[in-house]
Amino acid sequence: MKFVENIKYFFSVIGGLTDFTIRFFLEVFRPPYEISEIRKHMDELGVKTFSIVSVTGFIIGLVLGMQSQPVLARFGAEMFLPGMIALSVIRELGPALTALIFAGRVGSGIGAELGSMRVTEQIDAMEVSAVDPFRFLVVTRVIATTLMLPLLTIYVDFIAILGGYVAVIITQNMTFPYYIQLILDAIRFSDLIPGISKTFVFGFVVGIVGSYLGFNASKGTEGVGKASTTSVVISSLLILLIDSVLVRLTLIIFPD
Amino acid sequence: MIRVENIYKRFGDLVVLNGVSFEVPKGTTTVILGRSGIGKSVLLKCIVRLIEPDDGKIFIEGKNISELSLKELNDLRKDIGFLFQSAALYDSMSVRENLAFPLVRHTDLSDSEIEERVKETLRLVGLSEAIDKMPSELSGGMRKRIGLARSLILHPKIMLYDEPTTGLDPVTSKEIAKLIIDMQNKFKMTNIVVTHDMVVALSTADRILLLDNGNFIFDGTPDELIKSEIDMAKKFLSTSLD
Ligand SMILES: Nc1ncnc2c1ncn2[C@@H]1O[C@H](COP(=O)(O)OP(=O)(O)OP(=O)(O)O)[C@@H](O)[C@H]1O
Ligand SMILES: [Mg+2]
Repeated sequence: MKFVENIKYFFSVIGGLTDFTIRFFLEVFRPPYEISEIRKHMDELGVKTFSIVSVTGFIIGLVLGMQSQPVLARFGAEMFLPGMIALSVIRELGPALTALIFAGRVGSGIGAELGSMRVTEQIDAMEVSAVDPFRFLVVTRVIATTLMLPLLTIYVDFIAILGGYVAVIITQNMTFPYYIQLILDAIRFSDLIPGISKTFVFGFVVGIVGSYLGFNASKGTEGVGKASTTSVVISSLLILLIDSVLVRLTLIIFPD
Repeated sequence: MIRVENIYKRFGDLVVLNGVSFEVPKGTTTVILGRSGIGKSVLLKCIVRLIEPDDGKIFIEGKNISELSLKELNDLRKDIGFLFQSAALYDSMSVRENLAFPLVRHTDLSDSEIEERVKETLRLVGLSEAIDKMPSELSGGMRKRIGLARSLILHPKIMLYDEPTTGLDPVTSKEIAKLIIDMQNKFKMTNIVVTHDMVVALSTADRILLLDNGNFIFDGTPDELIKSEIDMAKKFLSTSLD
């Protein structure tokens, strides 16, 4: 049955990913660090995702604000709208949505890129020229995704809060400084940390899944396509799974 | 010197190499002929340990390559040039970056020395004008020659050529054959050339091996091949005659 096979495949990938992750941590602290390669990848990731996360972030803030406004108005609590928007964005929507978009754009890109390098023997060529392809291709990409996603998420949080302001001024008269003031009153430091820190994990997941599937792509152009699409599916699934665990964990560490 | 002892390799039920042995003395060229899909590329890849044989030993410069640590293996690999059948150029890098890649990683040359060496090697394969192109802008034959340039750039002691002229026109093929001989004379390299091209085979080889069904069915000099009564040898020769 297809479903059973998919489950089996998923677990075999998890097994391979575990090995890959261990190998990553064994390699990542050893010089040379390939800084220029990491920076090149970070630039590419930024360029690739900037416009899509900007649009999505703004609309999420806007929609969230418009949806919540009548609900809060019913309880006469419209003053809480800015705080509510900011809290939802910073704690959950910003990190999760940015990570999922990142998985879609970047995960598929890495899967396809490394997959085609595998299929056209570029990875073999690198190995024969005495350059470790795992270090040069995988470690640099995983570092780049791990560092880039948190930056993007912070940016998306800001944009979404901006989108929320637009929703607010549709129905209320509120200056922007006052809107920000209400937000700053509502959020605590403990709201910021978990939201941002989990994006390091999500970024790592996107990088390592895409790299693993690309690196192990099977021969033929079909293998490249599969590495690319499977990267998106598996990294999105893992992000959602890890997120639900981390949300629970956060509530234990930072009880309200 | 390269010595291959009793190499076995199978993929599932498919036996590709069935106890292959041969030796390539230092500074000589051995040509391996064989039909498509018979295992020539697999054999070459075993020699650089891209593929692990199921059984058997391979010695390069007296070292058993399966016993080397990764560091020792990489030191050895710096002395080996490998021209892939598909050229295997790095898609994301320009021709210049492709050629500079081994130099940047394995030598202390300055930027200007690297540039000089890149240009000199491109001249060697007759593609100086391609230096700023991306691999996707090159024809199949050009890719092959850039791949050749990249594998020669560290002046390796050993060169492994996987079908260096397949897909090239006869004129360029002859030039490549001449290049193989020139490089051989200049750097006293030890060569293994896998090919279907009888012009390349007869002009470069000190010795020719014919691989079929997992083992060599002919082993001799070019002259001996021409006189050989083996059916497969005759078939290969006839392609060069008509
Ligand atoms: N990684 C692999 N997994 C499974 N089978 C393989 C693998 N690599 C090669 N083979 C099989 O081994 C056989 C020999 O392949 P190889 O590429 O060595 O042929 P070849 O002699 O180089 O042919 P050609 O002249 O067409 O390049 C083929 O049948 C191929 O399908
Ligand atoms: Mg081949």
